[in-house]
Amino acid sequence: MRHLSAVAVLICATAAGPALAQSIEPMDVNPELAELGKRMFYDVRLSGDTSLSCASCHDPAMAFADGEALSRAYTGSAHFRNSPTLANVGYRDAWMHDGRLGTNLNDVAREMITETYLMNMDMRIMQERMKQDPTYIEMFQAAGMSEPSNGGARNARQAFMQTIVSRGAPIDTGELSPAALRGQGIFEGKANCVSCHAGVRYTDDQPHNTGVPDNPEIWADPERHVAFVTYAKFMGIPNYMNLREDPGAFIRTHRPETRRSFLTPTLRELTYTAPYMHNGIFETLEEVVDFYDAGGGDAPLKDARLQPLGLVTSERAGRIAVLEALSGESFEIEAYVWPDDDPFDYELIEDWRNVAN
Amino acid sequence: MKYINAFVVSLAVAAGPTLAQDRPDLLSALGPPPIPADNPMTPEKIELGKKLFFDPALSGNYGMPCSACHLPEAGWAVQAPISFGYPGTTHWRNSQTVINSAYYQKLFWAGASGSLEHQARSAARGGVAGNGEDDMMEARLAFIPEYRAAFRDVFGDDWPSVRHAYMALAAFQRTLVQPDTPFDEYMRGDDDALSEQQRRGLDLFTGKANCVACHNGPLLSDQAFYNTGVPPYDGWETDSLAQITFRFEIFAKGATEAKYRSIKDDPGLYFRTKQDADKGKFRTPSLRYTAYTFPYMHNGMLETLRDVVEFYNAGGGENEFAENKSDIIQPLGLTDTEVDDLVAFLESLSGEEIIVEEPEPLFMEPLPEAGN
Repeated sequence: MRHLSAVAVLICATAAGPALAQSIEPMDVNPELAELGKRMFYDVRLSGDTSLSCASCHDPAMAFADGEALSRAYTGSAHFRNSPTLANVGYRDAWMHDGRLGTNLNDVAREMITETYLMNMDMRIMQERMKQDPTYIEMFQAAGMSEPSNGGARNARQAFMQTIVSRGAPIDTGELSPAALRGQGIFEGKANCVSCHAGVRYTDDQPHNTGVPDNPEIWADPERHVAFVTYAKFMGIPNYMNLREDPGAFIRTHRPETRRSFLTPTLRELTYTAPYMHNGIFETLEEVVDFYDAGGGDAPLKDARLQPLGLVTSERAGRIAVLEALSGESFEIEAYVWPDDDPFDYELIEDWRNVAN
Repeated sequence: MKYINAFVVSLAVAAGPTLAQDRPDLLSALGPPPIPADNPMTPEKIELGKKLFFDPALSGNYGMPCSACHLPEAGWAVQAPISFGYPGTTHWRNSQTVINSAYYQKLFWAGASGSLEHQARSAARGGVAGNGEDDMMEARLAFIPEYRAAFRDVFGDDWPSVRHAYMALAAFQRTLVQPDTPFDEYMRGDDDALSEQQRRGLDLFTGKANCVACHNGPLLSDQAFYNTGVPPYDGWETDSLAQITFRFEIFAKGATEAKYRSIKDDPGLYFRTKQDADKGKFRTPSLRYTAYTFPYMHNGMLETLRDVVEFYNAGGGENEFAENKSDIIQPLGLTDTEVDDLVAFLESLSGEEIIVEEPEPLFMEPLPEAGN
């Protein structure tokens, strides 16, 4: 029976079955709007003190993550979470590790720009900054808008993020090594990773508690801890000053059973996005695989499906091989990178008294 | 002769109260500032407010304390036409001195705040000022051990409350007053506190020049709003950052779309009342401490006190809200000597420069361990 299962999995895999091996379709995006959003993505003038752009923490060379365990944040603070990849971000059902944004990327863009520990931007100033830059004025018009505006800017950033879609991963092209093929079977079978890491993005977009340990750096570094307190206070978490753990999805549900659960991350582009987990606590894929092999972490509310897997060495290697096969071509290409010779300058409005604002 | 003079002076001092009755009715010496019943002064609260005044924790980027734009050595203001803005921006109005701000019933040039407590919060949060957010600023205070102790001591806080920070700041500012200028001494009966020239200037102030029509009372401000025709800030024509901030302010403070598109000057009081008749009106500023607070007017467009006197001698100026210009403002016909006298009197409204020793900077530290 088990033998038959494995054969079935292999057939599914090579024949683009439902769980694995189905490439991700590009999203339908207005190219002019996306181009505008792309420029904004690289423009530090979208942060309050002009110190950060989106790309500061979402670097195309790292599949739009940042390579840090815990991300940087706005001047005077530091983040308490790992910067996630933006690969296929337009297909998500919810955003942020705790899933607190469940609407659309337009809202995600607003949250990133305005949150005090992220880009701390008064969007009314952002709008007027864009209106002071002839390149933006042209690009808004090319995208069908009369002039730069906050709403248009958020739509444009949404459109650019929707263009970020994985391409050319071995899992999609069918070029899996024998080890990866073995790993694929384990992924769907014995290890049952697929129970959460399902679908073409390898995520169910749902929160789960797998017992990932906290990252003590958050509470050792006042700048991180301050950002964490600001967040917990704003989200209405009781006793936030004494809290020394990341409450995860509890922040939006306020239901105790969701405490310390985090959205299943996509497994796409993993080779670009170390370190791993919502707080970057694991530096390598090996550590991640070992963590789940051991049945996850030690947590009272841990998902009951997590049990020691008893993988043998060759199975562990296979699992890493299949995980690596979920990474495609780099996003560090012209389609995603804004030319670095753009000065992002303002231009004085001549004859200011006589032209409309 | 000198001997006789001295004799007269000693007589004058002895008879001070009587002679003081010759003083102009519409002006008076400055008394103690009003203290709101819900924010009483204590030495500990004042000391806390002083630390906060110089602490960049109360800003978005941990870099813009109150003192960034209210520099003690620059008249507790900025000695430039327009205040510094938050990094990446510029401001759009002149920074006002903190000295004697305790006496204003309305703070900011267009009177947007009703108390120093409220003003502190607005300045800490404003997009081209502190650009801070209350939750974040409050969190930072909790990580500074000295503040945990001081807020507990002064306010009984388990953890520092940012509202209490604004109260402490207001208390500190209520100590930054100057009730002992030469003018105040004169008004209290010391005839020699003003020179001959200054006394002539005072006569002009209350007489021919009629400055006292608006600059009256102990603060030398009626705290009412007028358009005196101050010309627009010239930076709007030459500085792209200033153009950004100008549009932001019109947008953020609220105007119709037609006004947002067309206004080219600061409409001032209009933002509060949304009445066209209030466009271009600003609160009469106090004339105290002005020796240190150049340049002048809500946008710093007049450089010296003499420029200000000459501006009013010419009947004020003109801006795009000319229909709202005050009728009080008419050409004065002052001679050069009279202008000199008036400037000399204005100088008597400033005493010694007020400088305080800046407190040692405080730093965030990890919080002690706590149970979850």
